[in-house]
Amino acid sequence: MKKISRRQFLGMTTKAGAATVFAGIFAPSAASMLGLGGVAEATTKKIKPFTFAVLTDAHLYDIADHKFDHILEKAVSDVNSIRPRPDFVLYAGDLGQSGKKDELLKGKRILDKLKMPYKIIPGEHDYYLDMGKAWRGLFGDEHWSFNHNGVHFIGMNSILVPDFWTLKGLTPKERMGMMEELECHNCGAWGVGEKQLDWLARDVKNVSPHTPVIIMTHSPLWDYYPRWNFQTYDAPQIRETLRKFDKVISIHGHVHQVVYNEIGNMRSCGLLSTSWPWPYPPVELEYPHIKQRRADPGDFEDGLGSHDIALDADFGGTVHWREFSDLLPDNIKKGLKV
Amino acid sequence: MKKIRKMSFAAVTSIIVVSGALIITSAVQAKPPRSETQIAQERAALMTAVAKGDALWHSAKLGNNGLACANCHPDGSATNVHTWPKFQTNLGKVGTLREMINWCIAVPMQGRILEYDSEEMIAMEAYATFAHRGVAIAPAKDEQHGAVPVKSGPGYPRH
Ligand code: HEC
Ligand SMILES: [Fe+2]
Ligand SMILES: [Fe+2]
Repeated sequence: MKKISRRQFLGMTTKAGAATVFAGIFAPSAASMLGLGGVAEATTKKIKPFTFAVLTDAHLYDIADHKFDHILEKAVSDVNSIRPRPDFVLYAGDLGQSGKKDELLKGKRILDKLKMPYKIIPGEHDYYLDMGKAWRGLFGDEHWSFNHNGVHFIGMNSILVPDFWTLKGLTPKERMGMMEELECHNCGAWGVGEKQLDWLARDVKNVSPHTPVIIMTHSPLWDYYPRWNFQTYDAPQIRETLRKFDKVISIHGHVHQVVYNEIGNMRSCGLLSTSWPWPYPPVELEYPHIKQRRADPGDFEDGLGSHDIALDADFGGTVHWREFSDLLPDNIKKGLKV
Repeated sequence: MKKIRKMSFAAVTSIIVVSGALIITSAVQAKPPRSETQIAQERAALMTAVAKGDALWHSAKLGNNGLACANCHPDGSATNVHTWPKFQTNLGKVGTLREMINWCIAVPMQGRILEYDSEEMIAMEAYATFAHRGVAIAPAKDEQHGAVPVKSGPGYPRH
C-alpha cells in the first residue's frame, strides 16, 4: 500500500472528510444486531476514523451462575466503558461450549447488554450439536459483509469440516463431544468451504482494491498449528481472493491468546478469550515478541479480556488487547500498530 | 550410620530368603535381557495407562463446572512436567507434579482431588509425561512448554 504521509494527510483532511463515503449505515434491529450494510463501494483511500470492539470465545456452559458468565459480563461492561464509544462490536465465535441452545441464549442475553450493535460469526463450539441451527435462529447468517466509514467488513464461518459422523453413525451429541476437543484426531481440518469461497469472490468483485478490508473468522487464516485447528485449510484461496486489496486486516478467535502474523497483504491478529487462555503451541512464531505472558491458574481472569481496534484516516489500525490482568509485554501495552 | 546399614542389609537378606532366586538376581541387576514379548507387554501396559490418562484428561467428571484439563491443557501442554518438583506459588511450597494436578482439579475445576498414588493419578501423570518425552529435565525452570508436536492421532501409539 502506498502510504500517505502524515503531512500529506493533514493537508487533505477536510477534503477527505467530505469525500468519505458513509456506506453501510448500521440499522440496529430490536435485537441490537447489526443490520447488513449496503454493498455500496467505498470510493476513497481515506476513511472516517472510528473504533470498533471485539469479543470472542466465551464458552458459556449450560450451568447457572458459571464463572464464564461473569467474565463475559465483565467484558461487555468493559466494552461499554470504552471512550470514544466503539461504533459497533464484532464477536468471533465460540459463544457457547457444547452448542446447546440455552448456552447461546444465555450468551445472547449478555451480549444484548452491549450499548452498540454487534455482529457475530459461529465457532465450532456453537455449531456441531445441530449444525448451526440454533445459532442461525438467534443470530442469522453465518457469513456477511458490510461497509462502515469506508471500510469493507467481512465475516465468515471457518469451522466447516467434511462429514466425519455419518459413516461412524455418531449421534449429534457424540459429534459435538469430539469437536469440543481441541486435539480431536478424527474431525479433520476446518475451512470455509466452496460455497463461502464463491460468495466471497462475488462479494468483493466490485469493491475497489483501495478499499480497506477487515475480515473476521473464527480460526486463523494462516497455518499456525493445524493439530489444534489453529488454521483454515482454504485460507490460501481466501488470501488469493483478497490479494487485490492494498491492505487487509484479519482478526480471529479460537486461539485464546495474543498472536500476530503478516502474510502477503494481510495482517493477522489473534484475540483473547473470556474463558481460558491457551498455551502457545510448540512452533516457532514469526513475531515472538507479540505474545502474552503466562497466566496464573489461580486467577480466573488472567489472560482474558476484550479488544478495541482504532482505525485512522489512512487505515492505520491500532489493536488494543484489553487484558483484564497485566500479562501484556510492554511493547504492546499501548496497542499494536497494524 | 553403620548400624542402619547393617540393619537394612539384614532386612534385604530376609526378603531374599523369603522370596527366592528371582529377587536376588533383580536386586543385583543381573537379570538376563528381557524377551521381545516381555518388552512389548511392558510397553503396552504403559500405553494403557497413558490412554487412561488421556481419557481422564478429557473428562469433565474430575471437576464440577463442566471443565476438563484438556480445555486448558491441550495435548497436556503447559503442565511443564519436566520442571517439577519446584516452588509453585499456588501451592505455596516446593511441590510435585501430582500436587499440581490435584490443585488444578480443586481450583480451576472445583472438583475432588485424587489419591496421590491412585491408578487415576498415575495415569494422568503418565499421559502428561509421555506427551513431553525427550524434553530435557529442567527442575525449577520458569517456562511454559508445549508437548511434543503432534501431526495426527492421539499423540501416542495405541494398543
Ligand atoms: C480453566 C483452565 C484450566 C484448567 C481446567 C486446568 N488448568 Fe492447569 N493450569 C492452567 C493455567 C492457566 C496454568 C498456568 C500455565 C502456565 O504455567 O503457563 C496451569 C498450570 C498447570 C500446571 C503447572 C504448570 C507449571 O509449570 O506451573 C499443571 C501441572 C496443571 N495445570 C495441570 C492441570 C490438570 C491435570 C488439570 C485437570 C485436572 C488442569 N490443569 C486443569 C489452567 C487450567
Ligand atoms: Fe474457543
Ligand atoms: Fe474454537
